[in-house]
This record gives sequence, C-alpha cells and structure tokens, in this order.
Amino acid sequence: MHKLWAVIRREFSARVRTKSFVITTVLGPLLLAGLMLVPGLLLMSKSSGRHIVIVDGGDRGLGQTAQTTLRTKFPEHYTFEVMVFPTGETERVESLISRIDAPSETAGASIDGVVILNPEMLAEDRIAYYGSNVSSMSDMSDLRRGLREALVAERLAELGVNLTLVQEASRPFSFTTERVADGKLTGESGEASFALAYAMAFLLYMALLLYGVQVMSAVVEEKSNRLNEVLVSSLSPFELLFGKIIGVGSAALVQLGLWVGTAMMLTTFRGEIASVFGVPETAVMAVPIPTVSPALLVVSLLFFMLGFLLYSSAYAAVGAMCNTMQETQQASLPVTLVVIIGFFTVFNVLNDPAGSTARIFSLIPLFAPLIVPVRYSLNPLGVGELLVAAFSTLLGAIVVAWFAGRIYRVGILAHGKRPKIKELVNWVKAG
Amino acid sequence: MSQSVIWVDGVTKRFSGHTAVKDLSLEVPQGAVFGLLGPNGAGKTTTIRMIMDIIRPDEGRVVLFGGAGTGRDLSARIGYLPEERGLYPKMQVLGQLAFLAEIKGLSRREAMRLGREWLERLGLGEWIDKKVEDLSKGMQQKVQFIGTLMHDPDLVILDEPFSGLDPVNTQVMKDVVVDFARRGKTVVFSTHIMEQAERMCDHIAIIARGEKIVDGRLTDIKAKYGKSHLALEFVSNRAQAVPILQDRSLFLSVDDYGASAEGEMAPGVDGDTVLRALVSAGVGLSRFEVVEPSLQKIFIAEVGDTAITAAREPGDA
Repeated sequence: MHKLWAVIRREFSARVRTKSFVITTVLGPLLLAGLMLVPGLLLMSKSSGRHIVIVDGGDRGLGQTAQTTLRTKFPEHYTFEVMVFPTGETERVESLISRIDAPSETAGASIDGVVILNPEMLAEDRIAYYGSNVSSMSDMSDLRRGLREALVAERLAELGVNLTLVQEASRPFSFTTERVADGKLTGESGEASFALAYAMAFLLYMALLLYGVQVMSAVVEEKSNRLNEVLVSSLSPFELLFGKIIGVGSAALVQLGLWVGTAMMLTTFRGEIASVFGVPETAVMAVPIPTVSPALLVVSLLFFMLGFLLYSSAYAAVGAMCNTMQETQQASLPVTLVVIIGFFTVFNVLNDPAGSTARIFSLIPLFAPLIVPVRYSLNPLGVGELLVAAFSTLLGAIVVAWFAGRIYRVGILAHGKRPKIKELVNWVKAG
Repeated sequence: MSQSVIWVDGVTKRFSGHTAVKDLSLEVPQGAVFGLLGPNGAGKTTTIRMIMDIIRPDEGRVVLFGGAGTGRDLSARIGYLPEERGLYPKMQVLGQLAFLAEIKGLSRREAMRLGREWLERLGLGEWIDKKVEDLSKGMQQKVQFIGTLMHDPDLVILDEPFSGLDPVNTQVMKDVVVDFARRGKTVVFSTHIMEQAERMCDHIAIIARGEKIVDGRLTDIKAKYGKSHLALEFVSNRAQAVPILQDRSLFLSVDDYGASAEGEMAPGVDGDTVLRALVSAGVGLSRFEVVEPSLQKIFIAEVGDTAITAAREPGDA
C-alpha cells in the first residue's frame, strides 16, 4: 500500500507540475466561455446595411410586394431598392451585377446583390439571386423567407383570396419548451437541456481521450527511458499500472473539478460579474443556463471513473507494446476509434434518450461511460437500469484492465518490434 | 545452505526455442563479492533477472536469504542495478531518489534525508533540486547508483555496473562497492571485464552459452590451474625471446603483449629451464615470475573450450 501510494503521488505530481497542465487548467474555462459566446457573437455580427436591388421584369408589381414584405420583416439589416425593367435587357442586368461588391470609385453605388424576378422563370417557380453574400446562411434564409411570403401573397391575391384574412390566419405563435424530469417541471428550456447534455458528452469524451493518452505516454516514457526494470524490481507490474492510472486519474479529477467549479461559480454569479463589466444584469440572467443536479454530478463522476479505468488501462496496454510515442499514434487508433464511436452515438441519444439505441448502448461497457451521463441529464434513468449499467461497466472495466495488465506486465520489459496478435495472446497467457 | 544469500538451484530459461540459461546452479555465500563472468550473450542478465524474480525460470528455483521470499518481496534488503537503467528525465534529483527509496519501503521523510546525505557524499549537493535531464551523463550514473544503494541493502546486485562509466565514476563506484563488502554485505556483479573481477571478487562463476563453466573461490580456482604460468616483462633484445616463446616444448600457449607476455609452461618444464634459455639468448628481463594464471587466461581457456563443444551440439543454438 505504501509503495502504491508512492507511485500514485509521483505520477500525480509529475502530471500536475507540467506547464501544459497549468495552461489547460486556466485556458479550459476560457475556451468553454468562448465556445458559448462565439455563436452569440456570430449572431450579433449578422450582416448589417446590405444593399439589395430587386429587378422586377414583370408588370404585376411583385417587386414592390417583395420589397414591402422584406422591409417589414428585416427593417435593420437590409435596404431594398426596386427597379422595374424587362429582364431581357441583359446590359442593364450586367451593369447591376458589375456593381456588386465593386470598389467605391466605380460608377454608381456598390451593392451586395441582385434579385431577378423574371416572368418566365417565375412560371417555372424559380427566382435567381446574384450576390457577394450567397455563402451567408442567415442572409439567404432571410431572403428566401421574405420572397416566399411575397410570392405566396401574390399567388393568393391572384386566386382572389382576401389577403387580410390570410395574414390573420397565419399569425405566428411562440413555442416554449420546458423539460420535465421525474414528473416535475425543471424550469429548463429544451435548448438549455440540450446544451447541457451536449456539453457533458463533449467534456467526457475529451476527458477520456486526453487523460487516457496521458497514461499511455507515461507508460511509453518509462519504457523509452529504460526505467521499468528498476521499478519492477521493487514494484509489481500491477502496482505500477494502477498507481499510474490512479495518479493520472486524480490529476484529471482535479482539473475537471477546477473546470466545473469555475463554471458553476461563473454561472451563479453571472449577474454580478456582468454588472462589473457594465452589462445589464437582466440581459445576462435571461440566457438559459441549465441546472446541474447533485445526482447528475454523482452519476457523471461514477461513469467517468469507470470509463477512465477501462480506457486508460487499454491505452496503457498500447503504450506497453510500443517503444516510442510515434509508434503509439498508430497503435492506439483502435482504442481511440471506440471512444469516437461512443461520442457519435451520443447524437442519437440526444434525440431519443429513452429509445432502444440509448438503452442498449447503456449496457455496453465501452459506451456506457459516455451514454449514461448524457441520458441521465436529459431523462434520468431508473435506479434499476442505472445499477445494471454501472455494474456491467464495472465488470467490463475489470475485464479490460485484467487483459491490459497481462499485456503491460510483459510489454514493459520487451523492447524491439511491436508484437503481433499471436504474440499478444502469448503475453496474456504467460504464467 | 543457511549462510547462502542466493541459492540458484538448476534453473533453465528458454525464449521462443532458444535456451538462454540451462540447468544453472549457483551459491553466493554471505559477505562474498561475487563476480558473474561471461562473454556477451552468455546468460548473465537472464540469470540476474531470474534471481530478482523479474522473469520466472522455466525449471529450477531461486532461494534468497534462505527462503524469505522473492526478489520483489525482499526489495527492501536488495539493491539492484539492472543493465537496462534509466531515470525520469523531468524529475528533480532528490525527488527521484526519494521515490526510488520509497518503493523499497522507506518512509518519505527517511528517503529524503538519505537522498540528501548521499548526494552530498558523492559531490552532487548543488544538484539536489535540478531536473535529471539537466545533469551530465556521469552525474546521472551517480544518481542511478545512489538510487540502488541508498536504502542500505544487505545484498547488492549490479548488472554490468561499470559499463559506460568514465574512470572517475568507476573509481567512485568501486570504492562504494568495496565499502559495502567491508561492512559484511553481499555484492554480486556481472561483467565481461576480467581485470575488474580479478581485483574485486573473492568468488566467481564463469558462464557461457547459458551454462556454468567454473565457479568457486577465486583463490581455489587459480590454485586448481596451478603455478604453471610465467609472467615476463622485457627491457632489451625482445626479438631474441620470440623463438623461445614459440618453442612448443617449453610453452603450451603464450599471450604476447609486446613489452610483456604470459605463458603456460609445458608439463615437466620448470621455470629455471626457461630462465636459462632466455638469459643465454641475451634477452633483458625486468620481470620473471612463476604465477597463477590470470582470470583472463582461465576465462579464455574455459570459454574457448565450450564454444567448441557447444558448436558440436546442434539444436541448442
């Protein structure tokens, strides 16, 4: 026990004392905050002052209708101008197109795009747009929506339908969502619970990969520095392996703890923090922040630890087979792929947290560490299902750790070529 | 048997069809300085690894301290310097030593105290809180050596301890080993450098091709070869000595080093005969001594023999 403790302490302090640990600990929350802020900033920086010309080649005033609709829908971001002339006059169209995104010294003001309402094309239900902003998803969807409304209104008028009635009937409504867990209202919107589940999946996935690879590199480091024989003369390979896993695991928990703690502090005091920066408190408080229940924390912690035991011992076995870090990049691919498959399954689970995929994957030890916490955050599992998932994961982790330990024991003292499958089987079998 | 610190009883180890060690038995008595000699690839390291329980013999057994446990169980009483040795490059020197002592069972506080003491003693006091990777190779070797010995083991096992050492470090380490032996501790080391073993060991075992050739007290082994060797050193007329040295009726074999030579006299020839021949040929001598054969000579004689016999046994490559 004393020896195991010495290994754990050495490994822990070796991890925690690196520059990269300090940097990632500090930058992690910043990155997370960035990930949350950037989409918001992107929405805010939405195009402003786009100048779009609508060329109406017809005689029914469709251009005018479109302009009115677009103006009422998007009064801030765009200015629209209607030109009525036959679209067959290609020189006029071309001269407009030449003004798109043109330097200011060119004749006529620079414009961002041209909508062509050509009667022949409209007959085939087509509208063309030429612009510098065609890659902007939000611009295109705005234009499409505005034009669609104008066109629908025009077609309805043509059919003799009273437009006021149509507008009255197609009044928009707001759709509010709230998550219910255990038959109780949580006060969380759909977006918030999705965000929480997604963030958890991402964090768990990153943590399993990041710290699993740290265990692997620790194993390779000892091997390439020829330390193993010195160590194994005093320590059993199992003390060495589990000391390493527990040491790196504790460093991981410290780092994750600091991250989660910081995140919770920031969200709890976000009003106060915002007012320091002169941002109105109410604006910040309006942003939906999901609540993390203590039960969810416990479940996530448990499954992270089980998953870490499973994956880090698999990574350790890979490390023991290799002599250099370069070799591990290829050799660790199978393990990494399994983690990635688990991560992609999460997207299915997000859509249907109680569906059959979610239920089945919760029982597979390789995937449960990612799937179960995500499911729990969306729709808490029953105690029975949770216990079965935990036990099967524990069992799976023990089996993987046992095989990994057998490979590790032989591998750390073997130098030279990486073993083939047949040799690995011999390693596992060796007495 | 009770005074044997190491008892190796008929061990055999095979690696994928190749026999590394074959039915090898050894006994290392308490307080001995024991040299495990043999050419490269003879099975020295495999034997030591089996003694340390790093690998298990396929046959036979190893008993340490009269059966108190395996090498790992007894690691608090054993200092082991493997052939494959290294340190954590990013760790501080003292922390590294403390860790090495802790995994032998010492408390952290005691480990730190001993580490400090040893670093001072071997002149590395200023390097205590430097990272291992900042040390020169020679200093790293010293740290490695301290890590092996700082917990004051009863048995020290060193696999090729002097390989790659500069002369200064060789001297330092030799002094430490001799000091251990003087304090009644048992020292086992492997080497293929015979002069080293001859100067330090009181017991030796020569192994070749995984088999033991000779073992016992060095003095007994030398006595067995008898006083049939001549050690010569020349001062003048060296050329006149050549026909005498090549005379097979006088010498069975000669190691000619130029300014000196060692030869094994033919049966029935005594020193006087050779001396008369050399003097009458006008050879100037600064040394003429009837001696026991050097370990080097015994080694070459023995290992050369098995190389031939082993070659005659196919299937045991």
